[in-house]
Amino acid sequence: MEKFNANIAEILEVDKVEMDDELSSFECWDSLTILSIIALSGENYNVTLSAAEVNNAKTVGGLKELIKSKMK
Amino acid sequence: MKSNFNPFTLEGKNFLITGAASGIGRATSIILSKLGAKLILADINQEGLVSTIKCCDSEAISLQIDLSDAASIKDKIFKAVSEFGKLHGIVHVAGKSYIAPLKSVTEEKCREVYSLNTYAAIELAKTFINRNVYAGERGSIVFISSVYGVVGSAANVAYAMSKSALHGITKSLAIELAGKNIRVNCVAPGFVKTNMMDSASSMFDSNYAETLNKLHPLGVGEPEDIAFSIAYLLSDAAKWVTGAILNVDGGFTAQ
Ligand SMILES: NC(=O)c1ccc[n+]([C@@H]2O[C@H](COP(=O)([O-])OP(=O)(O)OC[C@H]3O[C@@H](n4cnc5c(N)ncnc54)[C@H](O)[C@@H]3O)[C@@H](O)[C@H]2O)c1
Repeated sequence: MEKFNANIAEILEVDKVEMDDELSSFECWDSLTILSIIALSGENYNVTLSAAEVNNAKTVGGLKELIKSKMK
Repeated sequence: MKSNFNPFTLEGKNFLITGAASGIGRATSIILSKLGAKLILADINQEGLVSTIKCCDSEAISLQIDLSDAASIKDKIFKAVSEFGKLHGIVHVAGKSYIAPLKSVTEEKCREVYSLNTYAAIELAKTFINRNVYAGERGSIVFISSVYGVVGSAANVAYAMSKSALHGITKSLAIELAGKNIRVNCVAPGFVKTNMMDSASSMFDSNYAETLNKLHPLGVGEPEDIAFSIAYLLSDAAKWVTGAILNVDGGFTAQ
């Protein structure tokens, strides 16, 4: 998952992200951003996420853990 | 005395239905079989095809095929038809959605969606018109697009491309194949309760179901609602209908 931070930063439209950044605090946080995260996890990690799961992950680190936990 | 008048009958006709293992394709197979048609049911999911066949009233055989592998379509259908009998029509229901905002869209995914939703339709039509496949007299080809081939929605460029392209293909082929007495039409469904709708819904928040219902004045649809329109387009009752895009969407695009 080495490119995870860079990919998430690109989706969140910032230069870099920290693990404890709150997802909902990003200016571009909306339903389309959630869809981009779902697309990223599906394509790069073969993990299917729901919007509810992404919202419940709360932070960038939480999201990373969520994807890791669902990777086979 | 009750008359036998039924211009909608499919008795004595053979059709090939793609995507027959689930959702709209399965419902279509069941309805067509109840109307008397014999069917070749094509899908990548063999197990699903077996379950569909169990629900069919008339003769039906399965054809396991990956329709995104265009090179294999002709040979597989030729073989199935040589064992089953020539066809009076083809329905391309198999398809996949790809919900992704513009910044996440990749060429690879676009091609994947295009090859199943769009190019397979061309290859199926090409195979159907072959004299080893087409039973002659009258033929009917039906494609399934989507309201999102007609109107826009966010995070949908690849799917919209694949489905609106079917509208162009429908009209072009309607003209090209009229001389062979083959009609070509397309059904554009609104949201229908199937696995595809369930997986799309999970990508949105909890009030998505309510939002979807509001988009459809008659509420979201059942697979059978689409199946009935396909049955009509395959029947001789539609013998003067070609090049049509039939919106079957509970009023979605009427607004
Ligand atoms: N459900 C909806 O709300 C809705 C709305 C508009 C349009 N549509 C269209 O209706 C069609 C059927 O959708 P559905 O809702 O029944 O979906 P579904 O997912 O239940 O069925 C799709 C079928 O296609 C098959 N398939 C997938 N990839 C394949 C491949 N490479 N080769 C062969 N078969 C393959 C699947 O195995 C499945 O049986 C699709 O073209 C879809 O775009 C659906």
